[in-house]
Amino acid sequence: MSMAFERLKSLTTIIMAGGRGERLFPLTRDKAKPAIVFGARYRIIDFTLSNCLNSGIRRIYVLSQYGSLSLDIHLRLTWDIFRPDLGEFIYSVPPQQITVNRWYRGTADSIYQNLNLLEFERPRQVLILSGDHVYRMDYLAMLDYHLTKDADMTVAAVPAPRREASAFGILHVDETGQVIDFLEKPADPPAMPGNPDFSLVSMGVYIFKAEVLVQEVIADAKNLDSQHDFGRNIIPQMVGRKKVFAYPFRDQATGEPQYWRDIGRLDAYFAAHQDLLGPRPAFDLFDRQWPIRGHVMSTPPARFSGSSIEISNSLIAEGCVLEEVRVTNSFLSPGVRVGAGAQVEEAILWDKVQIGPGAKVRRAVIEDGVVVPPSFTIGYDREADAQLFTVTEGGVVIVPSNVRLAEG
Amino acid sequence: MKRILVVDDDDAIRMLIEMELIDEGYQILTASNAQDALKMVESEDLDLVILDIRMPGMDGLEALPRMLGLKEGLKVILNTAYSQYQESFMSWAADAYVIKSADLTELKAKVKELLA
Repeated sequence: MSMAFERLKSLTTIIMAGGRGERLFPLTRDKAKPAIVFGARYRIIDFTLSNCLNSGIRRIYVLSQYGSLSLDIHLRLTWDIFRPDLGEFIYSVPPQQITVNRWYRGTADSIYQNLNLLEFERPRQVLILSGDHVYRMDYLAMLDYHLTKDADMTVAAVPAPRREASAFGILHVDETGQVIDFLEKPADPPAMPGNPDFSLVSMGVYIFKAEVLVQEVIADAKNLDSQHDFGRNIIPQMVGRKKVFAYPFRDQATGEPQYWRDIGRLDAYFAAHQDLLGPRPAFDLFDRQWPIRGHVMSTPPARFSGSSIEISNSLIAEGCVLEEVRVTNSFLSPGVRVGAGAQVEEAILWDKVQIGPGAKVRRAVIEDGVVVPPSFTIGYDREADAQLFTVTEGGVVIVPSNVRLAEG
Repeated sequence: MKRILVVDDDDAIRMLIEMELIDEGYQILTASNAQDALKMVESEDLDLVILDIRMPGMDGLEALPRMLGLKEGLKVILNTAYSQYQESFMSWAADAYVIKSADLTELKAKVKELLA
């Protein structure tokens, strides 16, 4: 039996996907954050799940809660690829309400409430992931690091610009990689040694020795002052008392930090999309070494018609129908239609959006099925947009699927 | 006076523990199965539960997280004739694990320690 097989067999993988995603409202008003459309033909959770698949992990529990139906539907449509008769699975686990009569109070409580699952599996290590990050990561390389360090817990860490780092947990490590201090979302994040503009942030990717995880979540469950959160409670409790290591998420060959984004806010959602564009994108969906799996649909190919069609720097999914239009720096999900004379710029159009002839859309996220009437404009008049829609700090207009736009 | 719930399906053991703990100055309530015990955890003001594991119907390891869910911060001692349940993650949520014996010295010491 190979070493890799042995390591995988003794690993349980849990993806935490139950949060409300309030900062992504209104996109999350009727669905789970991990189930939100991303990059024209993916859902956010597809990145984490593709990482699992590419790492050889084929036994996955997804802890769901808020808007779980949207996630279940996506898992069924896209990830029903595992063979239970070979011991492979992907299971969605909402709060069972068997041992305790409550929702998941936090990430740590979601593990506590599923201790019977860990008792059933009896893994040696537990990999804990989030369903709302965009990155490519070989989890087995991290597992090797964790085992080599004989760590109780390993946290994946990546440098982030200090001014953005206050949204994350900040790690302070010694020269061996051991975490000697941890600050959850500090107002003024401390810099990395020798790198004053960057802080080392936790990616919310953890590997625990199973027994340590069980002890820690039990202790946390008994702590009446705890918010039952890995970042706020579990990691700070462990640092200094247990062997906590930071796994540097960087390119093995160049040593450069690798791409990782938390899709926590609407502007981050928009900005991460821009990272997919360009001839050499920061995050390349076309990298065949580490493919990202999305929903495969039986939809006809995209059709472009007319003589003066202008499309640049955009990702256009199958089933789109474009007439004489101008589309730049945009994302068109399957089945989007754009009528003659329309202009679409820096826009993220979800499935089956229809842009009427002569309409103009700029810096907008438009949810599935929205019909934008002919000659309608979105993204050109902030005040007018703000009367109808959410407009983010960064000036991105969010058009939810429950609106009906009037012509004129 | 500290109030302790003793849960055991064996009448003799329940009585033995009850008598000895009364002598130690505690107020004792008893239940002969996990379902009754859960009702008492919900309705009574308790400081500690002494919980057997192997019982007909719901066993102690099933009852334990339910008790903790009903009353956060409740202290529980698992008291069983078997050592193998110590391996189970489900037993780790208890504050102590005591192997049953006719001599209650260890059990009484744990009770004292937890209620100190």
